[in-house]
Amino acid sequence: MSRADSLAKLALAYGVHLARRGLTRPKSQLGTLVETNIRPLTPVERELHPRLVGCINCGLCALAAGRLGKTRLPDLASSYMRLYARLAEASSDLDGDEADLEAAAAACPVGLPLTEVAALVRRLAAG
Amino acid sequence: MSAPSAHDVCVIGGGVTGAGIARDLSLRGLSVLLLEKGDWGAGTSGSSTWMIHGGPRYLEFDWDTTRRSCEDAGHIVTIARHMVYRVAFLMPILPHDRNNIERMETAMEVYDRFQPLKKSKPHVRLTADEARQAEPGLTADLVGAVTLEEWGVDPHRLVYANVQDAVANGARALNHTRVTDLLRDGANVIGVRYRSPDGSLSESRAKVVVNAAGPWVPEVSRMAGADVQLRPAKGIHLVYPHRISNFGLSAETVDGRDVLMVSHGGFTLLGTTDDDFYGDLDSVDVHEDEVDYLLQAFERIFPAIRNYRPVRTTTGVRPTLFKWRRYEDELSRRYQVIDHATDGAQGFITIAGGKLSMYRLMAEETSDAVCLKLGHQAACTTAVRPLPGSESELEPAAELGQRFGIPALAAIKLQSRHGSRAGDVLDQSDAGRIVCRCEPLTESELAYAARHEQVRTLADAFRRVGLAAGPCAGSACVMRAAEIIGRQLGWSASQRFDAVREFVQGAWLGRAPVLGHSGWAQEELAQGALRGLR
Repeated sequence: MSRADSLAKLALAYGVHLARRGLTRPKSQLGTLVETNIRPLTPVERELHPRLVGCINCGLCALAAGRLGKTRLPDLASSYMRLYARLAEASSDLDGDEADLEAAAAACPVGLPLTEVAALVRRLAAG
Repeated sequence: MSAPSAHDVCVIGGGVTGAGIARDLSLRGLSVLLLEKGDWGAGTSGSSTWMIHGGPRYLEFDWDTTRRSCEDAGHIVTIARHMVYRVAFLMPILPHDRNNIERMETAMEVYDRFQPLKKSKPHVRLTADEARQAEPGLTADLVGAVTLEEWGVDPHRLVYANVQDAVANGARALNHTRVTDLLRDGANVIGVRYRSPDGSLSESRAKVVVNAAGPWVPEVSRMAGADVQLRPAKGIHLVYPHRISNFGLSAETVDGRDVLMVSHGGFTLLGTTDDDFYGDLDSVDVHEDEVDYLLQAFERIFPAIRNYRPVRTTTGVRPTLFKWRRYEDELSRRYQVIDHATDGAQGFITIAGGKLSMYRLMAEETSDAVCLKLGHQAACTTAVRPLPGSESELEPAAELGQRFGIPALAAIKLQSRHGSRAGDVLDQSDAGRIVCRCEPLTESELAYAARHEQVRTLADAFRRVGLAAGPCAGSACVMRAAEIIGRQLGWSASQRFDAVREFVQGAWLGRAPVLGHSGWAQEELAQGALRGLR
């Protein structure tokens, strides 16, 4: 099929689309879209996000604070912050002990807000 | 030189097409030798956008390519179900975009006709407000958006799964083995001469030699005295070690091209460029202006993009079929199976062009041509036979993790690579310790890869099991990884040190074009951890 054929068929489809669009107004499908995909970040999380993912895995936070559940703090920021889509399947890794996140954040050389990191990971892991 | 071996077919090129051909032919009962000069999938396949997609872009040029691509994508998502995942895109429309929202939705309506072929969902149209609810990072200048669903896949694992199945069915597959010459008997190509990693030369006789070398196709063809012309096109991607957006996003570049930000499992790929390439295929650099070209496009729709830290770049060359008087972006992704008998090279077949999403079909048609030549009658089964790891349902990751004492997240990643065979990997060793924490990757999986998956370098481990693919870019793990691989392969202390140095130097080439603010902090850390290795 030549390019001319492809463009002609697209032009026809465009005409049909405009005609249909003039006659009907489909309902919003945002709910379905969000339901079947990952939970969106909230506007506040979105604002903070570039900082939340800034971990360089130096390990200093692990020296300042213990684990969050079974998870070492550097892992929380460097690996759990990566796999949002499947965090719900790994929620058991986060059950258990609380870490001193403020002390850990104070030790971070790139200024990672670890309290917010933990909150986001937990929210996404809750499914 | 060692005594020549003999096979029915020798396949040159261990990208996804060559690996697919080796699998197809070995499943048809032929003896196959597969040779790859680097590592499996280290060329064009590995530097792709990691997508099995139908290509709505091709609707402007060639609906047949879109249909065939969607059909084959449907087969691939069935046979490789453990390694594919849905990737939902938002395609935001700005006021002065080349395509207004009605045109864009028209294209998606047409594409929806092909979507069921690959088990994808139809598009959704969103108002500007709805689009910003779905992705708050989008610009306020938005007119609206349409969605598009495609599939993501780790091309390195896809290539290796094909190699693995070929080997399980009797093929011999050698990576880091370069073909230096073709063996001739008058007009007949009767085999290959190749150099092994230890430098030794060997020969193998074959009734048919298949050239599946991707952008290196012309170079291999010249060994047979045949002329195959390609129009190679360079493409780069920026790699962010996190998910940046909830959805994949598309953007328009300054010259009106469409580029993508693809949200994969744990990272984001942003690209790609598409430029005619005339340089050395074995040394393709990324330039800072290419990085800026991509960032400029995404800054319009996702203003915070420059606040994120890319961890590296990837680059590769597409083996596009030759066509004069066309912009690179307008070139079709069609492919061609060429029998060189008429060029005076009997027994020599080339597969040129194509794309990752159609690799299985390309392999099937090439294998049909080989079988026709050999008078061998056997049907292709690759459209229905699962790849290794996709044979059965996966056990819940948390249960697998608990059974072997590893975090559930590590079990998820392990399953994404090995599917239902993940337990076998952990069964073979008691070392459930995590070696690469960003990924996360266990010592046992790394050792398994060295023992059973032809990992011969740290870069091979990056491709096979994601070593050093995360935010720290290896500063925390490559030394330990070299010990683990070295133990399996019998490396001396100096060989381990050399392996790390080689990896760090190679990785630097991909990282240098994208370093900025916190990237340099990470580099300083890496410098300290790996002092003296660069």
